[in-house]
Amino acid sequence: MGQLLAFLIKYRAFFVFLILEVLCIWMIVGNNDYQRTAFINGASGFIGSVNKTSNSIGDYFELSRVNEELAEENARLREQLLSQQRTKVQLDSAEQVTIATDSTDTVQYILRQAEVVQNSIRNANNFFMINKGSRDSIKPDMGVVNSFGVVGKIRSVSERFAQGVSVLNTKNPISVKHAPSGRVGTLQWGGTDPKFSDLIYITPDVSVQIGDTIVTSSYNAIFPKEMMVGTVASVSEDSNRTYLQIQVELSVDYGRLSYVYVIENQHKAELDSLVESNPLDQQ
Amino acid sequence: MKRSLVRLIFTFALLLPLQVLVFRNFVIYGTGFCFIYLLVLLMLPVEMSVITGMVIALLTGLSIDLFYHTLGIHAAACVLFMFLRYHWLRMNGPRSGYEVNHLPLVGNYGLGWFIGYALPLIFVHSLVVFLVEAGNMDLLWQSLLRALITTIISLIFIVITQYFLYPKQQ
Repeated sequence: MGQLLAFLIKYRAFFVFLILEVLCIWMIVGNNDYQRTAFINGASGFIGSVNKTSNSIGDYFELSRVNEELAEENARLREQLLSQQRTKVQLDSAEQVTIATDSTDTVQYILRQAEVVQNSIRNANNFFMINKGSRDSIKPDMGVVNSFGVVGKIRSVSERFAQGVSVLNTKNPISVKHAPSGRVGTLQWGGTDPKFSDLIYITPDVSVQIGDTIVTSSYNAIFPKEMMVGTVASVSEDSNRTYLQIQVELSVDYGRLSYVYVIENQHKAELDSLVESNPLDQQ
Repeated sequence: MKRSLVRLIFTFALLLPLQVLVFRNFVIYGTGFCFIYLLVLLMLPVEMSVITGMVIALLTGLSIDLFYHTLGIHAAACVLFMFLRYHWLRMNGPRSGYEVNHLPLVGNYGLGWFIGYALPLIFVHSLVVFLVEAGNMDLLWQSLLRALITTIISLIFIVITQYFLYPKQQ
């Protein structure tokens, strides 16, 4: 017993080292579990506000580019508005046309503008944080897009901030569609290059050309269908000839995320309740 | 001794916010980060016990982790860093030996010695951070490259910071 104690005391530094490392590993494993609502600390108010300060230091350098992008988007929206006004003029001339005044049922998606205050692209699993939270009715599992395309989805929410899982996350696959053929596949990031992602589960009988557009499919309740995701950069067959290996050049530059829109699908609760009320094992 | 303590606390209070607010946003050549906060761990007194050192390293690592969203990863790397530093200091002493109350800095023991002392430690730290963050060995080569570039960038910034903060010791 005495010898054991002497041994422990002699190598106490090493044992303390082991204990501390085990503590760290426990923290890493406990907090990097994807499905749990970890990173609560990350979304909490204090750290969020520090991140915001850190971000606002960088903000000034990006102002001109952000201005330009917003102006471009304004122009695009104005163009759509003008083309709609023209149709209204035509309708006006036919006085018999009635337009439903109650539009509450027709609005399916609500967009809320937010600013990205923290973002990473160099990790294998990337996250971002926006400056809107539960106070602005942001909820988990809402989609996030910007004027170029899909950015990610919200994962956890605090009062004033929300954290999202980026498309550049190896554990965040997205259901997408090859626009020319209409075939649905899965977009899965490979973990290395922030400009490219992989499109999997497309069979070789589909004719995929370089430059084809990839958009979101209608099989998810998070994004509206046919939101831009990217274009095909390269195509090859895998060794078993089961699926095509498609590399997609993403339309969003994740290194320069600034202003984004959070999408709320008003029908999501209804969709989910229908799915949950008919679980597979009851059939 | 008192002066060393004041210096340590001052450096700690300066570099941690600097790391979190400014250097976190810098990614150099697309692969290299700058871990300037390691200077705090590098300049702890030579005669400090390894257990105290590791506890300080754990707390430093945790406070960095909170802002990097990697709870535990930097802490683990920092504890390993501190444990290795204790032995590395004893294997790699300057020719005339360590002097009491002299912090292990460029100003006290020279640039050549400091690089030999800091380079392997920073490299091990960066490598652990990137390997654990990647979570598997598939990205081994990429992690090695990142660690190498990060080490060089961090070392350059750490040395420059010392010339700024502690111009010349009498």
